Amino acid sequence: MITVSHLKKNFGELIAVDDLSLEINQGEILGFLGPNGAGKTTTIRMLCGLLEKDGGDISWDTTQNLSEAMGVCTQENIFWPRLTCLEQLIFMGQMHKMSRIAAKSRSLEILDVLGLASKKDTLASKLSGGMKRRLNIALALVHDPPVLILDEPEAGLDPQSRILVRDLIQSLARKKTVILTTHNMDEAERLADRIAIIDKGKLLEVGSVEDLKQSLGTGDFLEMRFRDNLESMFQNEDSAAWQLKQSLESTPELSAARINFSGDKLTIRSTQALEKLSLVTDAVGTVDLEILDIQLRKTTLEDVFIHLTGRALRE
Amino acid sequence: MIFSIFTKSIKEQLRNFWILILTVLMAPFFVFVYFLINESSQPHYDILVLNLDQGMQQGGTQLTLGDSIVPALKDHIVSMENAPLDIKSTPSRERAVHDLETRKAEALLVLPAEFTQSIMGPDPVAAEVEIVGDLTSTGYLISAVWLGALVENYLADISQKAPLYSVKETALGHSDQVDEFELFIPGMLILSIIMLMFSATVAIITEVDQGTILRLKLSGMKAWQFLIGVGATQVIVGILAILLTLATAASLGFEMRGSLGSFFLIAILTSISMIAFSLILAAMTRSVTDVLVVGNFPLFLFMFFTGAAFPISASPWFHVGNYGVSWQSLMSPSAAISALNKISIMGMALGDVWGELLVLAIVTVAYFLLGLWSFNKRHLQTN
Ligand SMILES: Nc1ncnc2c1ncn2[C@@H]1O[C@H](COP(=O)(O)OP(=O)(O)O)[C@@H](O)[C@H]1O
Ligand SMILES: [Mg+2]
Repeated sequence: MITVSHLKKNFGELIAVDDLSLEINQGEILGFLGPNGAGKTTTIRMLCGLLEKDGGDISWDTTQNLSEAMGVCTQENIFWPRLTCLEQLIFMGQMHKMSRIAAKSRSLEILDVLGLASKKDTLASKLSGGMKRRLNIALALVHDPPVLILDEPEAGLDPQSRILVRDLIQSLARKKTVILTTHNMDEAERLADRIAIIDKGKLLEVGSVEDLKQSLGTGDFLEMRFRDNLESMFQNEDSAAWQLKQSLESTPELSAARINFSGDKLTIRSTQALEKLSLVTDAVGTVDLEILDIQLRKTTLEDVFIHLTGRALRE
Repeated sequence: MIFSIFTKSIKEQLRNFWILILTVLMAPFFVFVYFLINESSQPHYDILVLNLDQGMQQGGTQLTLGDSIVPALKDHIVSMENAPLDIKSTPSRERAVHDLETRKAEALLVLPAEFTQSIMGPDPVAAEVEIVGDLTSTGYLISAVWLGALVENYLADISQKAPLYSVKETALGHSDQVDEFELFIPGMLILSIIMLMFSATVAIITEVDQGTILRLKLSGMKAWQFLIGVGATQVIVGILAILLTLATAASLGFEMRGSLGSFFLIAILTSISMIAFSLILAAMTRSVTDVLVVGNFPLFLFMFFTGAAFPISASPWFHVGNYGVSWQSLMSPSAAISALNKISIMGMALGDVWGELLVLAIVTVAYFLLGLWSFNKRHLQTN
């Protein structure tokens, strides 16, 4: 288990990581979810020992040196452009004290899994963007580290290689401890056993996907999009939007529901959401507003994020 | 681990072709250019002789002085040592005039048909020789003066009279030193290793530039391991460069007088020294572009103030062995050049240059300490 307690990092005035405490269990895939600039990479760099922390503590309950037990796939692709894929994987293996023979067979294996077998003798600089990303993941894995850190592994991947990489990460589950950062909730939801939501350097919530969704209460989402921006109409108490809001809030069947206007969107979270649809359309019918589309959906991590921060993840 | 770094850096060095070429070919190129400059600045005069002499019968045998004058003048020039003259016979006047006009020759000496007759004949008269040339050319004036003296000498010889005078030429300063080219070579040999500054610094800084230093850091690698691996490659590049320079110089007439063993020892020591210096340079830069810009400053200092490009020696502070230590000694190539001068030009042995070698070693160690410290601080620290 890796224990992070009260981790802190400032860049001048900016607090990039703010009193972050977290436990990472052996063999789990932990997803770090947060928008760009949240402090994910900064946290990761301190974990690897590449960045001096301003406060807090990182400990690991084995005797092995943590940074040497890690395989790291950095956010930017880092490789040797003048070495071939195979050459640099073998080199990296040897640098981690593997024998040449072991490093070679392991490298060939990983190249195969990541669909780079045919490019093994190609100079890294000559690879396509997606291939470079996969090579970078391979470089993190070659010495078979017990802890794997992937900083936005899917960034810059084409859909096909995304599948390869997801399969690979899933195949590592329970064999390795994987820490994965992403600003893509879909990626986090599919891969991670537990998700830590981070924003503005603070850890907001951590738990399994189900736990996080449960934290919002039960129920589904009813989402409607209007022709006009309702939120901007609220200044005027005679406006249709204001009237709609009043009318929905005074409907007894919707008293337990959570009603949220944002831009041109009305979101109602409620149990048995489908049954509430006619009530809402009736209320809209009494005011002068036009619905463009209606959607009924399950709770997503995005909803959790909006609930925690009041902002959408993709801004 | 160190061996993996070495093989990796060999591959990368070979694939980083232009840096390799720049490093290895710079000094040989300089040697060649210097050879050309040196060659063209050596004064040299070609004199043509047109022999129209008909000769004469003397006691039943044909006597033609004109036939023997060219070999005789040549012999005389050889006996004068270093006279910048060359005598050639020419088949016709047209051809000779053409050569004069195209500056292939400076002056033409024409021996008339009755040359032998007028000198050796029963009633000798003054032989009428003609000298042809461009009167506005200094080359002609000098050639004509030499010709006058030579012919006079020759005639005195034939008529078995003591020469009326002989010429002794006294050069001012070092103007009589013809082996200036050779004096220039030890500096150039060391320059070829000074050029390692580029390839070695680039090899080191590339890891920083492309971010791969991070992977090396994560592997737990230490700076000194990296340095030995990369350094071994650079020593090979250095040896390659100095051998190419030596081969170029040798093919242009340089003669190595000392032992090859001493030569290699100095080459390797200097290479190691330049690698240590490269570490300092790498600590001051961040990218390959930085190196190519910033690197010119020490290159300039090392080229012009160590004696690499031309001899320069500051007054010494004190002596170590036979080596005078001055501010120049702070630049390690200085001691190397002094040692190589003694070995390759004066043919001295290693024992005669222990002062240089000691200073070279001390300065190198200082470079290493400063380099490792500053490189660690700048590029291997977490911040
Ligand atoms: N070396 C640095 N110097 C100054 N500010 C930095 C540095 N690295 C990151 N930051 C800032 O810290 C914040 C967190 O960045 P980062 O950890 O990279 O975010 P994320 O990986 O979640 O997108 C950002 O505002 C970023 O601009
Ligand atoms: Mg990041």
